[in-house]
Amino acid sequence: MARNAVILAGGQCKWGVREAHIVDLFQEAAKACLDDVPNLKPKDIDGLIVATSYAGRCSFQVNTAPVIAERCGLKPTSICTRCDTLCAGGSTAIILAKGLVEAGAADIVMAAGGEKLYTPQKWEVFYSELASVDHDWDGVHGMGLPPPFFALTAQEHMMHYGTKKEDLAAVSVANYNYAATNPVAQMQKALTLEEAMGAPIVVPPLTLYDCCPITDGAAACIITTEEIARKFTDRPLVYIRGTAQTCLNSVSANFPGAHLADWKHTRIAAEKAYGRAKVSASDIKVAQTHDCFSISEVIEVEELGFCKKGEGGEFCRSKQIEIGGKVPVNTDGGLLAVGHPFGATGIRQGTEIMKQLQGRARHQVKDADIGLTHNLSGANAEHTILVYGRTPVK
Amino acid sequence: MAVLGIPILEDLYPSTMDMWPLEAKEFNRSWQFYENLKAGRLTTTKCKSCGHVAYPPRVICPECYSEDLEYTDLPTKGKVIVFSEEVKGVPLGFDSPLIHAVVDLGVDPARRVLTRIVNCAAGTLKQGDEVQLAVFPVPALPIDKGKQGTIMSERVFFAFEPVKK
Repeated sequence: MARNAVILAGGQCKWGVREAHIVDLFQEAAKACLDDVPNLKPKDIDGLIVATSYAGRCSFQVNTAPVIAERCGLKPTSICTRCDTLCAGGSTAIILAKGLVEAGAADIVMAAGGEKLYTPQKWEVFYSELASVDHDWDGVHGMGLPPPFFALTAQEHMMHYGTKKEDLAAVSVANYNYAATNPVAQMQKALTLEEAMGAPIVVPPLTLYDCCPITDGAAACIITTEEIARKFTDRPLVYIRGTAQTCLNSVSANFPGAHLADWKHTRIAAEKAYGRAKVSASDIKVAQTHDCFSISEVIEVEELGFCKKGEGGEFCRSKQIEIGGKVPVNTDGGLLAVGHPFGATGIRQGTEIMKQLQGRARHQVKDADIGLTHNLSGANAEHTILVYGRTPVK
Repeated sequence: MAVLGIPILEDLYPSTMDMWPLEAKEFNRSWQFYENLKAGRLTTTKCKSCGHVAYPPRVICPECYSEDLEYTDLPTKGKVIVFSEEVKGVPLGFDSPLIHAVVDLGVDPARRVLTRIVNCAAGTLKQGDEVQLAVFPVPALPIDKGKQGTIMSERVFFAFEPVKK
């Protein structure tokens, strides 16, 4: 009988500027995760995949998986490792965990991601971020912190498709308002269109609320098989139906699209993930996309097939990303408002989709049965997509 | 000079905190790219087996995996396709305005090279402007040579600058 991977439990610690060590954040996240399904105990977990990219630089710690396993009271016997795909780290951990449990190489895997980015001196995180992109060819030009790159992207979207600043602001407003009641979000404040339009400039055309914050935080989830999951929960099972991770370049000069607002690699990843999940874009009822910047979400709803290419601005401004719209997006607040501790983000997204498909999300999408998560990472160099569903694909 | 909070690093060089590439021959097989820069040339590698030109330079051809490569010149003038200006909050190591541009050098694979624009006042650059290669010195790389002591390996890096009209 086929082993089908499901996401059984998930949780995150409070995200924001945290007075804590990275191992503290992982412990808080592991507890939040197991509190989600109280029958599940640390001793049941036989695998751990840690997703962190900045532990090496900001916490002087490599080989993080054994450190996190020990601090979280885990004694994995099937797999204990770490992955580093920056913003997609958490999603990568889930993809790997799915493969391992479906192959029978592990049974109950915790995918845990986190970063501690605020260091005692403020300059250091900005300086270290030169490593977030191809260091010697892009980072060295001062491209580490992403606002300039996405400012260029926004300008090209505006040039080619007539997108307006109001379209970007509509994304910020939607996502901040989703997070306003989320107790673990970094930004828990309602935002008006006027506030978003009048915010201080970061890099034109991007202003304050167009950019996700720098975030300390961690998240953890449990990936197992449907048979095992049934022993621990009576909730509806949420299957990981199909996944894809597409990387066509690293150095920005080799960007695969015709321009920075043309995301060919997103389309390829979506086509592969939809194919494996046996769904199409019109089946997606709720999505958590990588809104590192407002413009990212505008382009993602296009490239994921929720609307036509070039119409993402209109799609967002006409509230199609909000509850009651065509595809509610980033229903917990997204990266813009919940924050973005790189390795943790994909796990936060997967957890929110699990809750949506189980009917217990804070901003519940009615009858959600198929959901999607999406990440981009680096200088828009890699795209990662997971499709979740209430039924298995096989 | 001591490093604040880490007195043992007095007068020591931590490469892990160096924002510039380790360009020296001892640490980088693409050292010739940087040597060419010192001569005012922007270059990359071309495969002598299949003719493929790759940017940035490689030690193997990404198309045919040949190791038989040669350096070839890229144009040093190009046109600004799109640019961004960061005036406030520029990170350590860079001056305000921090200007980034996608520049078309007119040949593949350099149709959309992302670069910093230097020697340019805020608010003066326009789309379509012609820009040219600007090579500048960056701090020399201290290499521990054992008994011979530490040698200082000179380094340069590049950006582009507006062509004076």
